[in-house]
Amino acid sequence: MQDTVTTSALLDPSHSSVSTQDKSSTGGHTSSTGPQPSKPSITPVSAKSRNPHPGANFHRMRRIIAEDPEWSLAIVPLLTELCIQHIIRNFQNNPILKQMLPEHQQKVLNHLSPDLPLAVTANLIDNENYWLRCCMQRWPVCHVAHHGGSWKRMFFERHLENLLKHFIPGTTDPAVILDLLPLCRNYVRRVHVDQFLPPVQLPAQLQPGDQSDSGSEGEMEEPTVDHYQLGDLVAGLSHLEELDLVYDVKDCGMNFEWNLFLFTYRDCHSLAAAIKACHTLKIFKLTRSKVDDDKARIIIRSLLDHPVLEELDLSHNLIGDRGARGAAKLLSHSRLRVLNLANNQVRAPGAQSLAHALAHNTNLISLNLRLNCIEDEGGQALAHALQTNKCLTTLHLGGNELSEPTATLLSQVLAINTTLTSINLSCNHIGLDGGKQLLEGMSDNKTLLEFDLRLSDVAQESEYLIGQALYANREAARQRALNPSHFMSTITANGPENSVG
Amino acid sequence: EALGEYLDGKKESEEDQSKSYKQKEESRLKLAKLLLCGTELVTNIQVAIDIREIHRRVEEEEIKRQRIEKLENEVKTSQDKFDEITSKWEEGKQKRIPQELWEMLNTQQLHCAGLLEDKNKLISELQQELKTKDDQYVKDLKKQSDDICLLLERMEEQVKNVMKTFREELYNIEKAFEVERQELLASNKKKWERALQAHNAKELEYLTNRMKKVEDYEKQLNRQRIWDCEEYNTIKIKLEQDVQILEQQLQQRKAIYQLNQEKLEYNLQVLKKRDEESTVIKSQQKRKINRLHDILNNLRSKYAKQIKQFQEENQSLTLDYKRLVLQFKELQKAMRHFALIDDEKFREIWLMNEEEAKDLIARAFDVDRIIHTHHLGLPWTAPDFWFLKNVGPISQQPQKSATQIVEEMLMHTEEEEAEEAASEPESYLDLPKQISEKTTKKILMLLCDESGFLIESKLLSLLLPLEQNECYLLRLDAIFSALGIESEDDLYKLVNFFLKYRAHRLSSSLQIKSCSQASMEKANMEETSMGSELELAEQTEMEGAKEESLVEGEKEEEEETPPSPWDIHPNDVLKILEAFVMGLKKPRDSRAPPRVQKNMCNNSKDSEYWQALTTVIPSSKQNLWDALYTALEKYHVVLTQRAKLLLENSSLEQQNTELQALLQQYLNSKINSELQVPPTQVLRIPTK
Repeated sequence: MQDTVTTSALLDPSHSSVSTQDKSSTGGHTSSTGPQPSKPSITPVSAKSRNPHPGANFHRMRRIIAEDPEWSLAIVPLLTELCIQHIIRNFQNNPILKQMLPEHQQKVLNHLSPDLPLAVTANLIDNENYWLRCCMQRWPVCHVAHHGGSWKRMFFERHLENLLKHFIPGTTDPAVILDLLPLCRNYVRRVHVDQFLPPVQLPAQLQPGDQSDSGSEGEMEEPTVDHYQLGDLVAGLSHLEELDLVYDVKDCGMNFEWNLFLFTYRDCHSLAAAIKACHTLKIFKLTRSKVDDDKARIIIRSLLDHPVLEELDLSHNLIGDRGARGAAKLLSHSRLRVLNLANNQVRAPGAQSLAHALAHNTNLISLNLRLNCIEDEGGQALAHALQTNKCLTTLHLGGNELSEPTATLLSQVLAINTTLTSINLSCNHIGLDGGKQLLEGMSDNKTLLEFDLRLSDVAQESEYLIGQALYANREAARQRALNPSHFMSTITANGPENSVG
Repeated sequence: EALGEYLDGKKESEEDQSKSYKQKEESRLKLAKLLLCGTELVTNIQVAIDIREIHRRVEEEEIKRQRIEKLENEVKTSQDKFDEITSKWEEGKQKRIPQELWEMLNTQQLHCAGLLEDKNKLISELQQELKTKDDQYVKDLKKQSDDICLLLERMEEQVKNVMKTFREELYNIEKAFEVERQELLASNKKKWERALQAHNAKELEYLTNRMKKVEDYEKQLNRQRIWDCEEYNTIKIKLEQDVQILEQQLQQRKAIYQLNQEKLEYNLQVLKKRDEESTVIKSQQKRKINRLHDILNNLRSKYAKQIKQFQEENQSLTLDYKRLVLQFKELQKAMRHFALIDDEKFREIWLMNEEEAKDLIARAFDVDRIIHTHHLGLPWTAPDFWFLKNVGPISQQPQKSATQIVEEMLMHTEEEEAEEAASEPESYLDLPKQISEKTTKKILMLLCDESGFLIESKLLSLLLPLEQNECYLLRLDAIFSALGIESEDDLYKLVNFFLKYRAHRLSSSLQIKSCSQASMEKANMEETSMGSELELAEQTEMEGAKEESLVEGEKEEEEETPPSPWDIHPNDVLKILEAFVMGLKKPRDSRAPPRVQKNMCNNSKDSEYWQALTTVIPSSKQNLWDALYTALEKYHVVLTQRAKLLLENSSLEQQNTELQALLQQYLNSKINSELQVPPTQVLRIPTK
């Protein structure tokens, strides 16, 4: 059967025929070429000329029959073809790829099964097409753009993520992950894990604590609920750039228990050591993990003077003023470009320390303090800092209990500052007067592209006028982008795209 | 400025593609607005949730504060109560009466129960609160899911909306482009049609032209055809005749062929035999060739050997030659040296001999004089011969150079001028015959003036400050060196040449009058033959110059003055010079042989000189001398006889005296006195 498949492919060697088509063609083929095996030795060219009964065998000798699209002459397949088939079948035991000619390599890669063990394929096959098939087989939805456009990278990153998600300390063998390490170390750049399972506990302990004293019980068992220690893994991945972690349990259903969601001190210390040792890390995200001030300070201390770190995301945690102070220290001791502290418990003192660090910072581009409570004192401090800062482009102060005094200061900043492109002041109590002052500030500004003032008690008229000014700024920015001779072109061109997206 | 231009360009382009550009701009603005509104709509939910969360937080905080206050109050009151109870326990210990104790215990129990009840109440309150919170949590969850649903809905709607509007806008833009394209197409089509029409019209024109031409050509073709037919017929007849003739010739040829075939067969056989012979000869020749090859090889080897030998020989010979050349040079040097010494010696010997000869001559002359004066009694005059004045060898007398002569001449003329009219124009220089000194001078002046080009410009500048005569002298010196005039003879030749040229021209011009050209040439021939060889060589040149002079001659034919340098026209000087130089070259070339001759001639002169010296006393005088000698001889004989006689006489006298003495003696003797005879008588006897 296989031979006939390849022969049909041989008739038209420029195309590498797909297996399903071959099967269908051979299905219909067997019936029509039933008498064929009687003359297997005669080559088609000579057969055509030497045919003793041209009338009787006319059908058999024709290359094409218009009515029968599946007609083809069965020819003995080429030796190379046979060899390739054999190599494909025995690839697991004897992987031969690099020694072959490029065209044959292509053929082999097209027919290899995606179920081959990773130990064979990981470092041998670079062909994207093969890894595309692997990915498509395992996951129905694939966003290759999230993985740098590389299917191989995507396969390994998601495979690793899967293993980490379902790792249960104590029961799962850690060798499962460590064995994968030498295979994936060159391809994984990003580790995104949104679930860490705790060690398995006896069901008997779960049921009584479920009702009343869950919190106290969790504290009692704290040493036992440590999660997987990332140290070895992170140290092994030589190209790791992004670490996106959530210490959380998904789909716990009725087995809910408070201590499922604990981010213990031991976890925190091991994570801090791991990221400190990883010098390639650019982006670090630790969200929704109940990180409080102390843990935040432990992590930030390990990140001080990190060589390449650019983005730090600690949103949706429990960080207070001390943690914010630590973050402020980090700002002046690293090259951080993006800092996200959204939905934490930062108050005025924390915001003041952040503002102090921001006043002389030249790296930070984006600062997000959404859903904190920095109030007017913190807002004013930040506004003062922005008068001297020449780097920050995006500032999010939504939901921070700000009011008119901050607005007046911000309006002065707007008139001076030429780097800010996006400000968000939604969900504050700016008030009518504050809105008017902001409008005055906007009239002198030519660079701001985004200014969110929704639900902040600003008069509709001033909001509309600010919108008009923003529109004019956007048009000017677009003109600058179209005219490449302009100095600011690249920065302003990127602005609107980001804001719209 | 550049920006302005850019904007202008943009405006122009806007006008150009107004429709599509406008549509694009509109669409872009619309879409941007849509996207902005859409995102706002979607983010509105987030913002709303945010603000709700903030409100919740504020409330929560308030409630929390109240709860904590309440709990604190509760703790205080319960603590008071507990303190009361504990104090009462102390009291109870003191009570001894069971009833009292029971009572107290009851009250204590009541108090405790109250306390517990309070606590329970608080707990139940808190639990109630928790329950409400749970309810609220469930509600919140529901609300959040609702929100998420709404969000999703809105997002989907937004996506749909955006897609729809994008499609619409795309459609609009496409439509605008389509319209523009249609317009463009229409305009282009019109243009195309116009061009096509023009093209068709032209095509039609060409067609009619072509038709006309075709008709023309057809007519021409017909004419041509008829003419060709006629020609064809005539040619055919002619060719048929030719064919007949050729057939006849063919027959003849065939016959000849037959004959030739037989002849050739015979020849073939002969040749075959010859071939055989030749093969034999060939083999012989081959053998011979082989032999000769061997010989050739031998000879080659020999030849190579010889070449080597000869090369060696050649080298040795060249070495010898070099050596010999060196020797020869040395020899030459020695020769020159010896020649000088010889000259010197020759001169000295000459002088010595000359002196001797002159002494002898002087003595001869003295003798002659004595003879003349003393013996002959004739007056004697010293003979005057040229060679007597000569001192030193004649052949070594130096020749004066041309310049020296000129200098002398110039000096002389100058003196002459100073003396104005010196009566005796002594021929200071033995100038050749008819040429006067003045003439020479004038010729030279002329030459000097005319041939300034021969003098170097540098020299000219140097000459400026000098005196006139010196100036002339130096100029002439330069000119002579340029012309190659070295010796006195050359100078005179030049002067002569000038004069002859002049004379010739005059004569020729005269002869034109009288006789024909041929006779003139004859005369020329005679004239030139009279002159030196030099002139013979120049004859052709002269003839060339003569023809030119014919023209000038006519002008000067009246003048019949004797040839003087004044008559030489300055223009002719160059021609004469040229002719002279051409002529001078030839004798110069053969210079060496005459020198030897000159020596020989000098030798003859020397011998002549010496011969002359021998004949200083002429033969007549010698004859005289001979005669004188014989006479004197005779005279001598007489004298000797006389002397003898005198001697005899003296002896006789002596004898006489002796005899006298004897006589005296005798006389003096007494006998003599006795015989006394007078002496006079005795003396008289010998004299007789």
